[in-house]
Order: sequence, then structure tokens, then C-alpha cells
Amino acid sequence: MADFISRISVVCFAASYGVALICEVSRLWFRSGVRGITMIGFVTAGLIAHSLYLIWRSTTLPSIPLSSEFDWYLLAAWLLAAGSLWMTVSNPRTPVGLFILPVVLALLGVAELSSREPFPQSPATQIWGVIHGSFSLVMSVAIVLGGLAGGMWLIQAGRLARKQAPLQGFRMPSLEKLSIWSSRMTVIAAVSGSLGCLSGIVLNIVNQRHGLLGSVPWTDPVVLRMGALVVWLIIVAGTSRAMRQRAIGRRVTALLSLVSLSMLTISILWGVLGSTQHGLTPSQENAPAITIPAGDAS
Amino acid sequence: MSLAFAGGSHRTVPIELREKLAFSSEQATEALARFQKQFPGSEAVLLSTCNRIELYAADEERRGPPPPDELAMFLAECRGIDPTNAGRVLGGEQGTAAVKHLFCVAAGLDSMVLGEPQIVAQVKQAWQLAQQSGTTGPLTGELFQAALRAAKRVTTETAVGRERLSIPSIAVADFASGVFERFDDKRVLLIGAGKMAAETLRYLRDAGAQNIRIINRSLERAHSLAQRLEAQTGDYNNISRELVDADLVVSTTGASEPVVTLDLYQNVEDQRQGRPLVVLDLAVPRDFDSRIGTRPGVWLYSIDDLGQACDSNRRRRQNQLPAALTIVDEETRRFMGDLHHRSTVPVIEQLRAGWNETGEVELDRLFRKLPELDESSQKEIRQAFERYAAKMLHPPMASLRSESKAGPPHGLLEALRRLFDLKE
Repeated sequence: MADFISRISVVCFAASYGVALICEVSRLWFRSGVRGITMIGFVTAGLIAHSLYLIWRSTTLPSIPLSSEFDWYLLAAWLLAAGSLWMTVSNPRTPVGLFILPVVLALLGVAELSSREPFPQSPATQIWGVIHGSFSLVMSVAIVLGGLAGGMWLIQAGRLARKQAPLQGFRMPSLEKLSIWSSRMTVIAAVSGSLGCLSGIVLNIVNQRHGLLGSVPWTDPVVLRMGALVVWLIIVAGTSRAMRQRAIGRRVTALLSLVSLSMLTISILWGVLGSTQHGLTPSQENAPAITIPAGDAS
Repeated sequence: MSLAFAGGSHRTVPIELREKLAFSSEQATEALARFQKQFPGSEAVLLSTCNRIELYAADEERRGPPPPDELAMFLAECRGIDPTNAGRVLGGEQGTAAVKHLFCVAAGLDSMVLGEPQIVAQVKQAWQLAQQSGTTGPLTGELFQAALRAAKRVTTETAVGRERLSIPSIAVADFASGVFERFDDKRVLLIGAGKMAAETLRYLRDAGAQNIRIINRSLERAHSLAQRLEAQTGDYNNISRELVDADLVVSTTGASEPVVTLDLYQNVEDQRQGRPLVVLDLAVPRDFDSRIGTRPGVWLYSIDDLGQACDSNRRRRQNQLPAALTIVDEETRRFMGDLHHRSTVPVIEQLRAGWNETGEVELDRLFRKLPELDESSQKEIRQAFERYAAKMLHPPMASLRSESKAGPPHGLLEALRRLFDLKE
């Protein structure tokens, strides 16, 4: 069994999600009695393989479980894939996978480009590192889900404004539901982002005071980007709340959620292409011109 | 041919004659009992709906079921109609055409509204009634099962029955449900008491709407409709107040001028505190100023908008027709192949029995000559003989099955009979 699990690779579950996505896309062209179950089967298979892979990594690596950028992206993808499965099962006529699965695949792609080196850790700061990473993870997943809900809101509102009947196989959730998702995710992203930022500050202060590994300059691009994103998320949450009794409030929330998602995407891409001291081990810090992907990942 | 049907539908029989030909369930039971007496040994199922009256008959014997004209005459006689008159409009088919017709009927492809779903239940009921009357048998059993399977495939694999075609159903399912997730916590306001409003409310009730208010110029009509729909009445002269509380408005007055002007709406807009408003303006001329639809949070649909969605759905259903007919053709071929293959069963059984008999004789002779063989060795040899016989039988059986797909394999059967000296 252990041998079997050790042979699972990212490609295995990415392929499963890919087939599920193809099934979902095919909704737009033709109907099939077995597509729904096939799609759920492939997402479930992918999710099982994905889970086994994460368990295998968390039990075999010497560092604290799932403490590299690679693992962080895999966890984010796992959460989104699980969310996609849950939403597909509870709303079988809604093409949720069409929106979420590409993000899952993109995250797996980013994971492959990311460093597998564990973040620097010491017993004094380990707990702060875990808290910082977990909140950042929740923030990112909430931004993705909120942004997708916002995008779906705009598509649905466009269809209703054009007075068109829903397309075959492309029945969106109601504006009411999408609006609730989008505003809830906005609040979750702002709160978890703030807590993630605060825990990151504490982590860095402790690291700096004790001269421990992994302290990051306050002007590091990742720190600045994370700070800017959190400020933006707080503004979005506040604006959404202030405008909820205005007729255009829902549209504004949807648009702002989409902007948040764009900002997160840019931030991740910047992380992939840019350089930083954030989350580096001493050996990496000494290496010249290191490219560190997705700097926001704790 | 072992299958036939006769009858007529909305396409061929005028409504006056359809009314006379229609069977209640008691009359259908009587007719089936009469059929049994008149055509002993034949199977029958009578399908009678408001749009069609069809009698399906089958017979496994070589003589086959009564031909369509005889079945048509039987139908007319059962309803006391002059068979000559009925015979002019009642049609029928035999064999493959009859099977294909039933599959099309069950899938709603021959219905007045293409793909309407009620027909499947009616086909099932007709089958159950015939079963209770004892006029079904193996052939009609397989035929109707295959018809229901074809209908299910058409429903799941095409969108022929999916798109809604009535304005109230489209208004609720495609537009109001696109805005609201649930209706049990929404206030529905009905302005006017028209027929279409009542139908729309029926769909809204099915979707969960509970809080319904009706306002009308004539309070009496509003009360009457409110009583019927278990709704409340409001004050028509205080329409602004009603608009503030409403989430969904269905408007069907006969007013010649807009009942809700842009000014009136803008006066109440702020009091609504940004809640979305869906307006289904089913009146002609329109009750709501069309500019209200451009206000944020307002989703205004006139009867023309809904009519266009209706037409587009009708076109989409039509576009699905070729795919649905392909499924019907596939299922018809499959059923006819199985049916033709049934006729080969006696020949195959005779052939197998003959080979087994010869095998047994040879085995007995062999075991007598070799008494030293123990039970296990005898069993092995017997199994080898059986495998040999099965392998030898496989090619003729496969040929028969393949030939059955195209039609009854009379030539092959005759050849087998002559080659192996089988009885008729």
C-alpha cells in the first residue's frame, strides 16, 4: 500500500481533474445521462489521490507537515477541489466545476513551479508559522471562491438583463445565492487575511528578536504585497457592507470580488517570477537570484 | 408480422371524432375484454388520451395479430361509431413501423407539444390497465418496456423535453428563479386578476411562494381570486406602499396606460433599501414603464420578452428532434433484432437438443468401453463434450443473431432445418 501511495504524483490527480473539467465543458454541447456521474467519479478519484499524496508527504518528510510552498499550493487546490465536488453534488445542474476546476489545475501548475524546500522553522516560532500559513490559505481560498461567485453573478446578471433563457447545460445559481457567497467570502477573506497578516508580523518579530532563521525584511516584496492585499480586502468588505442596502450594492460586491481575485492572481504570478527573502531557508538565502514562486504563501 | 397498431391522434383525427372515440378506463377495460373474446391468443394494449386513441396488438403465433384495418374497425365498434366513417381517418402500421410509432409516442415526439412529459405516464397506465385485464403477454411486455426505455433515453440524452414552452413557466423557472434562490421568504404582488396571472401564481406556489398579495381595481374579483389562491388582498389605490414591500410583481391589468410609471417607481425606490425587484409584466399594453427596467436592481420582463424566450426554447426543442429520432431508430432496431432473434429460439433449441442427445449416446458407449474411468475422469470428458457442442453451435447462433438485426432470418432457419433435419 505504502509503495502504491508513494507512486502517486501530481500528474495523477491533475489528470483526473482535467478529465472532470472536460466532462463539465462538454455540457455546453451535448447532453448525456452518464456525464454527471463520470464527472463526480473523476473529481472523487482525483481528490482521493490528492489526499493520499498530501498524507504521504506529511508523514514522510522530516519537517513539520506540509510546510513548503509546494504543499501550500497543493492544500489550496485540495480545498477548492473538495469545494467543487461538494457544490457539484449539491447543485448537479450548475456547472460549478467549469469555474473552480481550472483554478485547481492552475494551482497544481503553480505548485509544480514552486519550491519544495520546507520553510525555515524553529520550535519558538513553529506555531506562529502554522497560524500564519493557515490563515493565508483560508484567505486565498476565500478570495478565489468569492471572485468566482462574483464572476458568476455578473454572467447571470448579464443573461437576465439581456432577457435570454438559460443556455443548455449552463444554468447558473441565482443572483441571491451568488450574492450571499460573494459577500460572505469577502468577509472571510478580509478577516483571515488580517489574522494571517498579524500572525506573520508576530512571527517575523519573534524571529528578528531571537535572531532566528527565516526573518524577513519589512520591505520585502511579499510582505508589501500581502499587506496591500489585506488592506484591499478590508476596503472591499467595508464597501460591500456599506452598500448592501443600495440597489447597486450586489453588483459592486461582485465586481470588487473579481478584482480581489485578479489581485491574488497577479500576486501569485509575481511570486513565481520575482525574488524574495520570505520563507527561505538559509541555504536558499545565500544562493544568488533565487526565483521564489507565489510569495504570499506564508 | 407479429405487431400492429391502429388508431389516430390530434394530427389525423378531428377533435369531434376523437371525443367520440375516447375511452374512459372502464370502457377501456371492457374493450380489452371484448378483444380477448374476438381475437383469442392475441395480446393488446389500448392507449387513450385526450390527443390520441391507439390500440396495439401482438401475436407470437405465425398467423400474427389482426391487421390494422381490422383493429380500426374494432375500435369504432367498441365506441359505437360507424366503422366506415372511422376507417377513413384511423390509420395503423405493422411490424417495425408500429414499433417505431410507439417509441415516438412514448418519447413525446408525436405529441402536440413536442417532448411533453405526461405521455410517458399515460403509456405506463395503458400498459398497467391491459395487464390487469389480462390482455398483455411476452411480446407487448417487451414492446412497452422497450418504449419506456427509449423515452427515458430521449429524456436524458437530449433536451427535447427540457425547454419550457409556456410563458408563466418560463417567467418563473428561467427568470424569477435566476434572481431569487427561494420564494418562501419573498413578497409576491399580483396587480390585476387575469387568467395568466393565476397560472403564473400556480408556478410560484409550486416554487414555494407563500406570501402573496393581490390588488385589483375590482375588489370583488381580487377577493375571489385571493380566496382561490389562498392569498391576501391589498389596496389598489395604495400601489406605492405595495411596491415598497414587494420582491416580485406579476402584473396583468387591462389598463390602457402604464399602472406604474417611472416617477411612481423612483418615489418608492429608496424605501426598498436596495432589495432586488422582479417584475413580470404580462399585460398588453404594458403596466410598467419600460424605463423602470433600467433602474438598478430591477429585472423587468414584458410578455414580448418572455414570448421571445418561449420561441427560442421551441426552436431548441426542434433542434433536438433529429437526435431524439436517432435514439428512437436505434431502440427500434434493437427491439426488432431481439424480436426476430426470438423466432430462431425453437430451431436453436432443437439443434442443441439433437447434439446433446448424440453426445449422450456417444458418451454412454465410451464409458461402457472404458469401465476403468473413475467418476472424476467421466465428469471431465462429459464437460469436454459439452464445451465442444457449445463451440460448434456458436457460429450458427452468431450468424442467426447477426442476420436477425436485418429482419427475420427465414433463409438461414430453413437451411438449418434442412441441413440438420429439424422439424418445422
